[in-house]
Amino acid sequence: MRDPRYDALAELVLDHSLRLQAGDVLRIEGEAVAAAPLIVPLHREAIKRGAHCYTALDLNGLKEILVAEGSDEQLEFVSPIELRELDVIDASITIWSELNTHSFTHADTDRRQRQLAAQRQFAIRRRDLIASGKHRWCGTLSPTEGHAQDASMSLEDYEDFVFRACHVLDADPVEHWRQVGERLQARADELGSVRELRILGEDTDLNVVVEGRAWRAAYGRQNVPDGEVYTSPVETGVNGTIRFGFPAVYGGSEIDDARLVLEDGRVVAAEAAGGQEYLQSLLELDEGARGVGEIAFGLNYEIDRFTRNILFDEKIGGTMHMALGMGFGALGGQNRSALHLDLICDLRREGEVYADGELVWRNGEFLHDPQPARPAEHVG
Amino acid sequence: MADVLVGFCASVQEGDLVTLESSTLAAPLLRELYRQVLEAGAQPLPRIAIEGLTENVLKFGNDDQLDWVNPARADDIESVDVRINLAAPANTKRLSNIDPARQARFDRSAEPLRNRYLARAAAGELRWVLSAYPTEAAAQDASMSLAEYEDFVFGAGFLDDPDPVARWHEFGERLDRVAEFLATRREFRIVAEGTDLRVGTEGRTWISSKGQENFPDGEIFTGPVEDSVEGEIGFTYPGVFNAREVEGVRLRFEAGEVVEATATRGQEFLREMIAMDDGARRVGEFAFGMNEAITMFTRNTLYDEKIGGTMHLALGTAYPETGGLNRSALHWDLVCDLRSGSEVYADGELVYRDGRFLNISG
Repeated sequence: MRDPRYDALAELVLDHSLRLQAGDVLRIEGEAVAAAPLIVPLHREAIKRGAHCYTALDLNGLKEILVAEGSDEQLEFVSPIELRELDVIDASITIWSELNTHSFTHADTDRRQRQLAAQRQFAIRRRDLIASGKHRWCGTLSPTEGHAQDASMSLEDYEDFVFRACHVLDADPVEHWRQVGERLQARADELGSVRELRILGEDTDLNVVVEGRAWRAAYGRQNVPDGEVYTSPVETGVNGTIRFGFPAVYGGSEIDDARLVLEDGRVVAAEAAGGQEYLQSLLELDEGARGVGEIAFGLNYEIDRFTRNILFDEKIGGTMHMALGMGFGALGGQNRSALHLDLICDLRREGEVYADGELVWRNGEFLHDPQPARPAEHVG
Repeated sequence: MADVLVGFCASVQEGDLVTLESSTLAAPLLRELYRQVLEAGAQPLPRIAIEGLTENVLKFGNDDQLDWVNPARADDIESVDVRINLAAPANTKRLSNIDPARQARFDRSAEPLRNRYLARAAAGELRWVLSAYPTEAAAQDASMSLAEYEDFVFGAGFLDDPDPVARWHEFGERLDRVAEFLATRREFRIVAEGTDLRVGTEGRTWISSKGQENFPDGEIFTGPVEDSVEGEIGFTYPGVFNAREVEGVRLRFEAGEVVEATATRGQEFLREMIAMDDGARRVGEFAFGMNEAITMFTRNTLYDEKIGGTMHLALGTAYPETGGLNRSALHWDLVCDLRSGSEVYADGELVYRDGRFLNISG
């Protein structure tokens, strides 16, 4: 019954992502039924490390009842107890584990958005604490039939996919992610001296000015799995066309095969083979929704397919992604929006990237060191 | 069941903060409770437990971790208006092999929270209700199939009645009349096979427990005068505490304190529990079980202490609203069947025989 892969994932999150210490207070969040296979080992290993650990668990079906039946006041309720909790905890883990990723498809959109906005209060407060170094957080996933179904896989195959992507089958997962950190940091440092990127791919020719912006390496601290380098581009510096071959999943709805034209950092034309109206409505959300908040390269080569889950999709090795909307203030990004829509462009077959005129990437990988993580080098 | 718990037991009001505390096994009832609390205009706060996490702390925790009081749960107890707690075990014997000393230390850490919520309840600031959702583990303890056990649980709550709330009101009035009578007496003597015990209750409040804090319910209890308990008692049913059973418990009291404790099985555990702290060797509760829909022992105190025709004592902490002063990390109910060959005297007068009060209407 006990699956050592869940134990290994738990240990990776505690030791690498959170660097959990004896005496730390740790809160684990997730859905009590679906995430139990990961919650139990996380709790056990946290206790073994001398931490004080407790759970704050949801039960599937409750949010659906709230959105369907709650009064306005109940929908918008933010628990003061929960907000106060943030002041007494050192670290927290969010486990994503949907039993059914489409349970809100027919819910009233406005009511669902209000409920999500209330829920976001906690996340926003936590984000501020993380930024000021007072809190450590990691988001990870416990495989469910629902996520497997979204990925068009059996649960067994999906578990294999997830644990490979997390590198928890390696002899020393913590050491793997430490090395990924070194390499991605070197890559981020190098990109930090680039003024302008040009991205060429299928129906894609985009110029992105990144001068003066810091790049960040994501190597398993706040997400497991991880593996990307990202920044916020200069707000007026994105020009050209781009086609996103993978569907974007946002708020439970899909946008398929989106094509954008950008001028001076603003989307001036947008079309999609599926979800065109939805895409338009998102672009109208607010002033910043037509701006670019993020540009990034996905460098986890164990993630080799689209699974309809942004935790994995944005890290697919050999892709780049761009987010419309909210930028990263800490990296110099100034675009502000309620939107952060990640759109993924596959650069594995036809892709080329030029940095200040020099070819640095072809067909899914950077051409020279520091090389991104490749699984073959680290197994064993 | 959810509507009775939310409306009748906890009388949830608009604007209340209501914690819903249970394990994942109670999911169907939790969802219905969540819905009913919303309907009442209150705010449900789910507190869902996964069975097995306590075991992690007890097995692997250091002293610091065993002693830890979760500040978030302390905030709950300080802030909410209503707590609804459902027992829904997957395995009632999960903690059987934990070192009793570690278990006792862990239990002591929960004492401040327990005292605080009981104090807020006594002050009328917090309503709470403890109930149970039928699970296979609980059915197994009762030696029943799940279907039989569900019938037992719903029967004990009068939920098979067309109007359960009316039944509870009617039953509550009867309990009140008995409680009023008991309040007129100062000393009780319980005589049964192997039992001759005197308990003083002068100045203490008898409370009829009629479906507010426990569901199902049906007992009348008080906190006896701390140094008044004298004599011997033999308990009919096994005492169940922290997944352990102690059988054939016999206690001898002098001036309110246990001076001799024996058991045919589990005697060592009994003695360890009584030695937990100063209050653990005194009686915190003295009560009569009055629910005649509960006729058999099911290894679950929620039901066992209410079996119609029984009395029980609890070693350890008293409920402050009774006037009982004893405090302890322990509160261990032990039940004595009085349904045959038993008598209770109140200030020398025979008032109870073979499981029933005499000459009290109801």
